[in-house]
Amino acid sequence: MSTSSVTSRIPRGLGVLGAIGAAFLLLPLVGIVRRVAWSSLWQQLTSPQITEALRLSVTASVVATLCALILGFPLAWLLARVNFRGRSLLRALVTLPMVMPPVVGGIALLGVYGRTNGLLGSFLFDTFGVQITFSLTAVVIAETFVALPFLVLAIEGGLRSIDPRHEEAAAVMGAGPWQRMSLVTIRLLRPSLIAGIAVAWARALGEFGATITFAGNIEGRTQTTPLAVYMLLESEPEAAYALSLVLVLVCVGVLFALRDQWLGRRS
Amino acid sequence: MLRRGVVCVVLAGGVLSANATITHASSRATSSTAQGSITVSAAASLTDAFRALAREFRSEHPKVRLRFNFGSSSALVSQIQAGAPADVFAAADTSSVDKLAASGQVNKTPRIFARNSLQIAVKPGNPLKITSLVGLSKARVVALCAKTVPCGVYAATALQRAAVVLPESNVSRGVDAKATIGAVVNGDADAAVVYATDVRAAGRSVASVTIPKAHNVTAMYAIASLRESKNAKAAQAFIDFVMSSVGQSTLVRFGFARP
Repeated sequence: MSTSSVTSRIPRGLGVLGAIGAAFLLLPLVGIVRRVAWSSLWQQLTSPQITEALRLSVTASVVATLCALILGFPLAWLLARVNFRGRSLLRALVTLPMVMPPVVGGIALLGVYGRTNGLLGSFLFDTFGVQITFSLTAVVIAETFVALPFLVLAIEGGLRSIDPRHEEAAAVMGAGPWQRMSLVTIRLLRPSLIAGIAVAWARALGEFGATITFAGNIEGRTQTTPLAVYMLLESEPEAAYALSLVLVLVCVGVLFALRDQWLGRRS
Repeated sequence: MLRRGVVCVVLAGGVLSANATITHASSRATSSTAQGSITVSAAASLTDAFRALAREFRSEHPKVRLRFNFGSSSALVSQIQAGAPADVFAAADTSSVDKLAASGQVNKTPRIFARNSLQIAVKPGNPLKITSLVGLSKARVVALCAKTVPCGVYAATALQRAAVVLPESNVSRGVDAKATIGAVVNGDADAAVVYATDVRAAGRSVASVTIPKAHNVTAMYAIASLRESKNAKAAQAFIDFVMSSVGQSTLVRFGFARP
């Protein structure tokens, strides 16, 4: 249960560096809290621009997470369970949006869904008159794009760690593939599913670069919370700090919900 | 003999910058003793002009290294107020520099170094046949600068003069002038109200629509050196260069009007 007394004694210098590392990560949070004008906090958070941005962010990030789940689950399944040529290459490519600068992601999305030069976008616009960019759809696409890899990796990892004997037993008892998936696999997957959904959602919520490039910055239509924070920083810095606090608290909430998965409550 | 002389000058110049006064024929060098590096925080609309200007500045002041920090003038003011290192501030309006002057952060009185005006940028070929500010209501998405940024303030004035009210749900806000025209160049915005110089710099990726004088706005660009600067000499050298005939003609080449 507890760490052995030998391994818990670490070289002194290492402890100091570790403490600096912790302070480095925590101080910026103090920086936000310090700058929040508490007396007018509620008033700032209920201003139309901010409530609109929060509403948009919640809608877009929830829809994006659902989309990521619908597309990511089967993809993770393929990557974890099906042997095919180029599987590791595909896995590497699928995780690319995680490491790609978000603004590059935005440009890439313009190249696909843009009205004028986009691969699909120009077809959609010319034949149906549908424009994706500068819309809530574009926000959802941008957020799904950056969130999906997180979900795929979490689920794939979960699938790999499931003991195949559970599913084999279910098969012996006569369960078909869909039944096995819903009754056995998804239940066993629960921890990684929840972790994946939470990280993907937080990533979608915080998305900035791809959104501003691909979906623009329209108040009440595509200006999500991070964009609003950025715009407010100049005009009303106090409101920007208030909104940042909200985002931080949301993330703390996510961590709290996931404490069993991440915060080392190992038994 | 002559060749040896040149070699000597080159060598001397390489070792002692003070010896730049011993000029050889092809050099136009003023007695530049400025050296070191300076950071110029400049309005995004100056990006192309200042980059070109920097190359010319370099030939006159080879020992000065210029670093640019382009952004919206209002963002640059916030940065400088927050202690960002900068030696020169060049803004797309006078009020941004005045703000810093009021808090005692600039040396001397700011100087006006260029003028600019607004234009409408539309997609090449002007598919929506937008011919005026009024025509912007035909656009699904109009890109404007953020409300706090000079070009956003100017655009608001121009729209007001033309009695045009654009619903905010059709307006995408760019963080600065370059980002705003970028929404038309790279993105799907139908039109943008930006500086004439931005439209010119965008070349064939947009078409331009002029805004009549009665509605248009004159943007006055102001420049000042900053009190916090650790290299006042080089900062002043850059400002002098911007005001010089070479600097001014470069700005004109990029579409700016003389002050």
